[in-house]
Amino acid sequence: MATSLRLYLTCIRNTLEASLCLQNFPCQEVERHNKPEVEMKTSPELLLNSILICRNEAEKCLIETSINSLRISLKVKQADELENILTKKFLRFLSMRAEAFQVLRRKPVQGYDISFLITNFHCEEMQKRKLIDFIVQFMEDIEKEISELKMSVNTRGRLVATEFLKQFI
Amino acid sequence: MILLQSHSRFLLQTLLNRVQNLGKAVELDYHWVEFDDVRYHILVSMKNPNVLLLSVSLPIPPPEAVFIGGLPFGAIEALKAAYGVVVQILDPPRDGFNLTLKLNLGKLPLDEEHRYALLLKIASVREVVLGAPLRVVLKHLSSRTVIPGIDGLLALVHRSKESFFLVPQPDKVTVVFPMRFKDSIDIAFATSFLQEFVEARHTAVLNNAPPCLWSPNPPLELKEAPAEALSANAGFVSFVIFPRHVEGKKLDRTVWNLSTFHAYVSYHVKCSEGFMHTRMRRRVESMIQLPCCYLLAGCAASALHVKFSWNGCLVGDSDRNILPLQATQVKGSYLVTHVVSQALDRAKPGVEEKKKSPNSRSFKRLSLKEARANSIS
Repeated sequence: MATSLRLYLTCIRNTLEASLCLQNFPCQEVERHNKPEVEMKTSPELLLNSILICRNEAEKCLIETSINSLRISLKVKQADELENILTKKFLRFLSMRAEAFQVLRRKPVQGYDISFLITNFHCEEMQKRKLIDFIVQFMEDIEKEISELKMSVNTRGRLVATEFLKQFI
Repeated sequence: MILLQSHSRFLLQTLLNRVQNLGKAVELDYHWVEFDDVRYHILVSMKNPNVLLLSVSLPIPPPEAVFIGGLPFGAIEALKAAYGVVVQILDPPRDGFNLTLKLNLGKLPLDEEHRYALLLKIASVREVVLGAPLRVVLKHLSSRTVIPGIDGLLALVHRSKESFFLVPQPDKVTVVFPMRFKDSIDIAFATSFLQEFVEARHTAVLNNAPPCLWSPNPPLELKEAPAEALSANAGFVSFVIFPRHVEGKKLDRTVWNLSTFHAYVSYHVKCSEGFMHTRMRRRVESMIQLPCCYLLAGCAASALHVKFSWNGCLVGDSDRNILPLQATQVKGSYLVTHVVSQALDRAKPGVEEKKKSPNSRSFKRLSLKEARANSIS
């Protein structure tokens, strides 16, 4: 793993560790409701400052926290048109199966590629450290998968081109 | 199959089938399309089972391409040279087609090998007709001359309303393809593929292959081309063909490869999209299985730990509003029976359904009530 990636992920991990202190908090407006405040944004006193972690201009991570929920949004590097398409397709595949991941949001926050929503209930049901591990692992996996996909497209292109040009020899 | 075959497989099958069952009179009326541009039609009537009508509709020619009587120049001569007496060219062709061939199956050579070769040639009618002008130019190249009357740019039909360009010179022919794709994903894939062509040419193995260039802007050769032919969304590819690429038997292959270059790239772009989707689907599936084990395994471990330290503690409703850290642990002890049994269940085979159930819950349903119900059971 590249050093800059390790630093980036460590930073995200530490931030998550610090900010994942969620507690149960019923909705203030509607009785017997319990909503993730970071999504509703109805009462500013329940929201905390959001944190933006950037690796470079193209890759960043926004962590928004509130009393009972936390939202992580990622922007994945897209160096060229091909990577852009691969990222979009792959993350769309993942978001469509969001219910299997529990903490994955169906739609990313505007300006980002993929978002997670963690609530106090997730923290109660699962171990916090494992949850953070999962998110960091997920980010690593996405990055690796996209670079592998790109590589396989390029390898295929090379093979196709070689076979075509061989015809002329 | 990496390379495209020059014969239409379906046409060859149909012809072979027909020839083998000449005694049986059947009616055939087939339509099909190849590479999204050439349309074929086969007609055999009950009255005259020995005669087969094969009609071909070519892509609509762009204004700059030279078409004589609905066919590219040199096509009629090429057809006559290739098929001889077996095939008759009907004039005018059937409605909606550029060319109608009348095959007399009774006149086919009796020798098995010759007959197959001829049928193969008929099935490659696309190569014969659309490749005819290219063949004429390349033939002149092999004798190191230029067709009289052509100087500078020569446009040949490529796809419907699109052309590719030849710059014939005595010692080389430059072929320029403006590449266009409809879909934005296709464009991105094709662009990266075309750049690979340039890269691949630089390897030592392909030293003798035609030099290949790709650029997003029209190359200098196309200075005289009409403006509407210069809008290519996947860039321009040019090959420089030397006499050594067209000598002897290589001529046929070169003609075929160049005249179906777009189909070749497009075919591989589609294949690789399909491959990408399969791969992504598989990867997502493997990732779905991962968090189930991952998250719950962690949960089980923590629950066991909590049971140890919190054993015997009385936990009431009001405790849920204590510090978050404690709340986590308290809830952990609630869950312990449920989770441990789940973790054990997973070790047994055939528990796919059970595994999914706790993970498919939505946010709201993960409520306190449910957790308590678990602990009671």
